[in-house]
Amino acid sequence: MIRIALVGCGTMGQTHAHAYTSLGEAKVVAVCDIRLEKAEALASLLGCVAYISYEAMKEKADYEVLDVCLPTYLHCRYATDAMQDGKHVFCEKPIALNLEDADLMVKTAKEYGVTFSVGHVLRFFPQYQAAVAQIKAGRIGTPALLRTTRNQAFPGWSWENWYQDIAKSGGPEVDLAIHDYDWLLYNFGPVKRVYAKNLGPEHPAQMHTLAILRFASGAMAHVEASWALPKGIEFRTTFELVGTDGQLCYDSSRDCPLKTQLGSDEEASLFYDNPLSDEMNPYRAELKAFLYAVEHKTEPVVTATEAIAALQVALAAKESAHNGKVVHL
Amino acid sequence: MKELRIGVVSFEHMHAQSYTQELVKYPEVTLVGIADENEKRGKEMAATFKTNYYQRYESLLEQQLDGVVICTNNRDHAKVSIAAAKKGIHILVEKPFATTIADAHAMLEAAREANVQIMNAFPMRFNPNVIAAKKKIDAGLIGQVLTITSINHGKIPGGWFIDPALSGGGAVMDHTVHLGDLIRWFTGSEIKSVFCESGELLHHKGIDDTGLVMIELNNGVSATIDCSWAHHTNYPIWAQVDMQIIGTKGVIELKAFAQVLHLDDQTNQRFEDIGWNETGDEGLIKEFVQVCATGRTPLVTGLDGLRALEIALASYESSRTNEVVSLT
Repeated sequence: MIRIALVGCGTMGQTHAHAYTSLGEAKVVAVCDIRLEKAEALASLLGCVAYISYEAMKEKADYEVLDVCLPTYLHCRYATDAMQDGKHVFCEKPIALNLEDADLMVKTAKEYGVTFSVGHVLRFFPQYQAAVAQIKAGRIGTPALLRTTRNQAFPGWSWENWYQDIAKSGGPEVDLAIHDYDWLLYNFGPVKRVYAKNLGPEHPAQMHTLAILRFASGAMAHVEASWALPKGIEFRTTFELVGTDGQLCYDSSRDCPLKTQLGSDEEASLFYDNPLSDEMNPYRAELKAFLYAVEHKTEPVVTATEAIAALQVALAAKESAHNGKVVHL
Repeated sequence: MKELRIGVVSFEHMHAQSYTQELVKYPEVTLVGIADENEKRGKEMAATFKTNYYQRYESLLEQQLDGVVICTNNRDHAKVSIAAAKKGIHILVEKPFATTIADAHAMLEAAREANVQIMNAFPMRFNPNVIAAKKKIDAGLIGQVLTITSINHGKIPGGWFIDPALSGGGAVMDHTVHLGDLIRWFTGSEIKSVFCESGELLHHKGIDDTGLVMIELNNGVSATIDCSWAHHTNYPIWAQVDMQIIGTKGVIELKAFAQVLHLDDQTNQRFEDIGWNETGDEGLIKEFVQVCATGRTPLVTGLDGLRALEIALASYESSRTNEVVSLT
């Protein structure tokens, strides 16, 4: 039984915690958050101890794996500290805000001989996996044109609104579009150049990125990711994958199995659900894959090198949007 | 973990394929054998699943089974279920439960006498989207349920499905039972009356392929079921199960098989929708394996099967008489 400690009990920490409840091979022994009530809520779900500081948890709790669900700008500090302590580290995506931090994390993991992986969870989403399986079976021929979208309202609920501070979150390229960058790189190979635009700082609550990628294979991709939608709009993801012999499409709004409309005298609201059993839960699957790598001392499904490659594309999109030039990788 | 010895009687109904695939995923399950009157099909399936082939189901039932999955034609459900019950074997029988009320009662009685569990295969009860809708309803999210509109369209199957002597009927028999069961489950109420228009309007195969059913429940809820085999050959997907549930506080729109990828297949010049989530067969078999292991009452029972069958048979009666049929 692998013993896990979780740092950061916000949205992603809660998502991971729920995934752990149905994973028999692991036991979360400690959780921590500077907002003690958040830590206590997860501790009661998981039947473990809540800490108000990482340092106290490190001193008192006995664990082999640290799961880092902190805001991005804190990833490197806590991940490397745990690695130096001999802990294996699973870190939420993106790996870091810049290549220096990311390289330091990789170097530290290597130096201390611990397993390190990053939460590029899109690879574990069943609809994305099903698309890859169809492509591998030759159903669309050679992939040529790949379009992905990942659009939502601004996540204004975050702790200290850290998403809005690009110095802490990296903006929509580094935080949001990086999901699709990783999935595209993993399945369609390296990118050779990037051209991108975004909504600039004059729209602080409507961040948005548009990027055109050209792959070494000759394929091209259009990647859109948005925090610019009106408040209350549902999170929507789509892909359209066109090959020489066919086309595959998915749209989370159109292909949604469960919509609930609720009304009151003042306003109506519409909720979209995409129910999955525990076995199909992508967060559970990514953690399970990581724990397998820890236990069997194998390379994790998502390697740190791949996480850095995705970050490079995200940083290239940011750079291109900033200076208006094509970025060659 | 105690070994569970399970057999499958007949691959006449194609669901036997996915049920068996699910069964063999469980380390505690030993697939003892496959019985099928059709020797070619039975031997092929036995080879696929690396198990023994029996031509006669009676011989398979002799093999000290804990459980049996019955996927014969509908008429034979009763004969095989009763024989299995007499051997003390827990039963999962494909829907519809039987083709006559008398058969259904005889099956329930045989199971009761032998103290075995008999479960009707209603996989929609285990569909993740249906489960999520049920949880919302039970949590009171949409208030009190007032009315339900439901559709179960599909393509017309061939073979014995379109031979009334073996199937007991066409689209009305095949599809009314799924939604009838979910409507009972969602409302917790029994059926008061049934009206149905049905007929052979689409495919000219000598059996009812189109049907619209209107139900009134004891609690006052009204509901419709469209049970038609309405999808033509080139429709991009076989099965469609949609329900709109209107309550005093809100509405749930359920599309149980909406989680698909849309494929435009240039090579074969057709569109195809490819499902990527669990269908319900996974949970159905998981439940049956647990029932075999513990002997507890299944989440969906033979009695649920009988109640759904009553709706289908009342629908046929209403179609014949053009009158409302009372079930109370």
